[in-house]
Amino acid sequence: MALTEPQPLALPAGDGSAAFEPLGVLSRPVRPKQKWRTWLFTVDHKRIGVMYGTAAIFFFVIGGCEALLIRAQLWSPRGTLLSAETYNQVFTMHGTTMVFLVVMPVGAAFANYLMPLQIGARDVAFPRINAFSFWCFLAGGLFLQTSWLFGGGADGGWFNYAPNSGVVFSPGHGIDYWNLGLIIAGVASLTGAINLIVTVLNLRCPGMDLFKMPIFTWMTLVTQFLLLFAIPVLTCAQFLLMFDRLFHANFFNVQSGGNPLLWENLFWVFGHPEVYLMILPAFGLVSEMLPVFARKPIFGYSFIVWSGIAIGFMGWGVWAHHMFVSGIGPISVTTFSLTTMFIAVPTGVKILNWTATLWGGKLHFTSPMLFSIGLITMFTIGGLSGVTHSIAPADTQQHDTYYIVAHFHYVLFGGAFFGFMGAFYFYWPKVFGYLLNERLGKTNFWVMLLGFNLTFAPMHVLGLQGMSRRIYTYDGGYGFDFWNKVCTIGAFILAFSVAMFIFNIFYSKVKAKSLPPPGPDPWDARTIEWMTPSPTPEWNYDPIPTVTRLDEFWYRKYADTEDHRLVRIHSLEEVAQHSDGEGVHLPSPSYWPIIAAFSLPIIAYGLIYTLWLCLVGGLVLTVAIFGWALEPPDAPGGGHGDEHGPDDAHGEAGELESGASGSDTADETSGAEAGADAKEVETVG
Amino acid sequence: MPTDLSDHAEAIPTNVLDGAVEEYPREKLYVWVAIFLAAVTWIEVMTYLKPGWFGNVDTRIATLLFLMAIKFFTVAYVFMHLKFDRKMLTVIFYSGLGLAVVVYVAILTMLNVWYPGHPHP
Amino acid sequence: MAEISMALRDEFSPHAHIDHDTNTGISNTKLGMWVFLASECLLFGGLITTYLLYKTPVAGEGPSPKQVYDLGFTSVSSFLLLMSSLTMVLAVAAIERGDHHRLRTWLAATALLGSTFVAGQVYEFTAFVHEGMGYTTSRSSSAFYTLTGFHGVHVTVGIIMLVSLLILSLRGKLPEHRAETVEVVGLYWHFVDVVWIVIFGVVYLIP
Repeated sequence: MALTEPQPLALPAGDGSAAFEPLGVLSRPVRPKQKWRTWLFTVDHKRIGVMYGTAAIFFFVIGGCEALLIRAQLWSPRGTLLSAETYNQVFTMHGTTMVFLVVMPVGAAFANYLMPLQIGARDVAFPRINAFSFWCFLAGGLFLQTSWLFGGGADGGWFNYAPNSGVVFSPGHGIDYWNLGLIIAGVASLTGAINLIVTVLNLRCPGMDLFKMPIFTWMTLVTQFLLLFAIPVLTCAQFLLMFDRLFHANFFNVQSGGNPLLWENLFWVFGHPEVYLMILPAFGLVSEMLPVFARKPIFGYSFIVWSGIAIGFMGWGVWAHHMFVSGIGPISVTTFSLTTMFIAVPTGVKILNWTATLWGGKLHFTSPMLFSIGLITMFTIGGLSGVTHSIAPADTQQHDTYYIVAHFHYVLFGGAFFGFMGAFYFYWPKVFGYLLNERLGKTNFWVMLLGFNLTFAPMHVLGLQGMSRRIYTYDGGYGFDFWNKVCTIGAFILAFSVAMFIFNIFYSKVKAKSLPPPGPDPWDARTIEWMTPSPTPEWNYDPIPTVTRLDEFWYRKYADTEDHRLVRIHSLEEVAQHSDGEGVHLPSPSYWPIIAAFSLPIIAYGLIYTLWLCLVGGLVLTVAIFGWALEPPDAPGGGHGDEHGPDDAHGEAGELESGASGSDTADETSGAEAGADAKEVETVG
Repeated sequence: MPTDLSDHAEAIPTNVLDGAVEEYPREKLYVWVAIFLAAVTWIEVMTYLKPGWFGNVDTRIATLLFLMAIKFFTVAYVFMHLKFDRKMLTVIFYSGLGLAVVVYVAILTMLNVWYPGHPHP
Repeated sequence: MAEISMALRDEFSPHAHIDHDTNTGISNTKLGMWVFLASECLLFGGLITTYLLYKTPVAGEGPSPKQVYDLGFTSVSSFLLLMSSLTMVLAVAAIERGDHHRLRTWLAATALLGSTFVAGQVYEFTAFVHEGMGYTTSRSSSAFYTLTGFHGVHVTVGIIMLVSLLILSLRGKLPEHRAETVEVVGLYWHFVDVVWIVIFGVVYLIP
């Protein structure tokens, strides 16, 4: 690690004595001896992104096993693999795990790893809060999964409607685990949202105006705003449920006038923006990959950006389309039916723009490209079935059938997850320093495409034929048998394709030892993150680039001639960064985020079992927060939690000396220092 | 430089303040604003001490909502410096506030809260 | 004055940490706090909505909140909280001028007013419980106590932050160039006050 320590640590671990006694009790774990500690206490956004991704894949396997159990149970009528009660738990936990612990964290993984790189920053605005967000998510996710060990999972569906979710109808603790686990995960999402929004707004490199940002960064920004506003609504609903279940409040107590529609409304006000925030990162990633493999710029950059913003806005006006059959009355139904139809428009704009990007391009069908095209096609199918749901009378037949299950799996798996798979293949060399095997990758795609369609396409038919969802079995003689078998076979093929992916990871890693390293830019890409060495060094950029236009990196390599041909003007050697991080100052690791995060499940267990644990957890949390707030900042320029942007040039130590090509930062260095000195004069006296 | 409430208290230079584009008020202005808020609160209190001053129930409700908004925005603009800081902060805060108002009023409308007893819309 | 400022400046604190380093010209912390406050609108909005839905209990489940309110008492404590916003902004102005003595005075005043408010709420709720409106009595009581309770917890957290700032300042660790910290805590405090303005109007006053 190329950290410089211009200031001595205040405690014996350092050398010399400090002129100043910081209030922090523990020194920051600056140079841990064991490697695992570097992961536990890291505040580096890249490592946090990798941890999010790894955790998500772990939870994906759990959720996938739950899916296989469902499909196995539904292989034939009157299946006996799972009892009705167990089945309810399995499908609830499958949905909850996939939504909150897989799709959202993969989005977070890419947002964390990629977005600071795309805007030319060294890290996010609040690195310790970033670490806290991850550990909080992991703590909440693990806490939720322990419900299986302590009496069974939640069993009211991933949306857990009231009053079914109350203690009268669900006396076990499963729903408490669901509730508290998701509140904890919600804290993670909310703090992450604040962090990433401030990062995008405040830490862009010189020249990176908002409309020169890559599309993935834009989609991330919209996603974080959606999270920022949607999570509190869910948290509110969950606190109401928690108080009902644990303290006998009357929010959903029907005898006391509790209104089940309150839960439905609050949940879906969260739930609809939720699905947009699951798909937008994948949309952003695909918008990065398609231009690279079509060798053309993205078609209609501003249309794609504005339609993303439009989706973010309009997503707030459609929630009650999940409630068409809940008795909300004809005026509400009509209103939301119309708004839902309208929201197809901005998504359609994106699909058209992506298609136009491909049109006339020099197409290279690599694995990332295949998965991206997969997203476009599969999401279109899912979107079309979505439009059919928007027509309320039709939805009345479709609701609670497998037709809906088909729709959301097409958009979530065929859409978001295919996009993520493509992005895994695309960004793997940048993150880990080796390429995933292409032949395996392509096979992976086709097997996944086959398995996916075999699993979910027949569900459209089953749904329209009347097969109900969320029911542990069905009777023979309704004509459901054949297609259910097809679905189950498809599910196992899909599982096999996931196994292929995991195998590819390890296989490629082994093979990479005998292959040349991929270098910074294996795909000949367009955006500045491909300038850095692979894997990305800890300090990201050295020096921080100055951006003059969209697709900055591409136009450093190529120029357009007058007769519209592309001409290479610089070799990769010339434009890639050969940085050594000399003099770069990075935020120091910290103990407190992980300690604070894991105090939360302690409180949660306490709420379920014994309030003494709440006390313990509360004490740990309080100590952690104070320790964090009073922690010695790492050095001048580092703050109590905030990392001051790309040019850490202020400070007496003047630690940012970019020895090599200094033109980018030299001006900023002197400028900022001059500004800093001038400011000092003004604030004094 | 001691703080004082007199007229010749100096303004704090904008460029040492965080995100400010206009001078922050002097302490004296803050005190006047607080007195204004106290007066508005007094009127609010009168709506239940002297309801007769305000006509029927609907006027009272309208008055209270209006006074509440005045207090809300005064604190936000003056004490929280929204008026004197960069507009981005106002935009961010209003998006949250506006979204909350629209969404929750919609929910309450769907749940038929405004005219209980009337037929469901 | 210069010497005092220099002595209070510590190498471990950031200086010149605002404006020029961020794209928006607003520090990360201040921007972050406003973003957080925007999200809090959604949280309190949900709780207020719940209260509005459940304003009246079903028959036989105890008094409605309106029947037990002591508007005079609540008006006084609301007024105190409102005035604490004044003392808060005076504290911020004080540190921006480098007047640490007044900073501490106004911080202490704000914390005191806030604590009085919380104490008043505790007293009020105890009285309500004696009059037959407990937490689990009815849907309106649950909604009322949850809404005001959430607010009270926010106020308490604010008081803890204010006292922490006060202690930091007393130990010389809150120098002038960290005025931003006080301002950001101030923003939180004002927001908590502003939420109470809405709660007081919507929950207590509106007939």
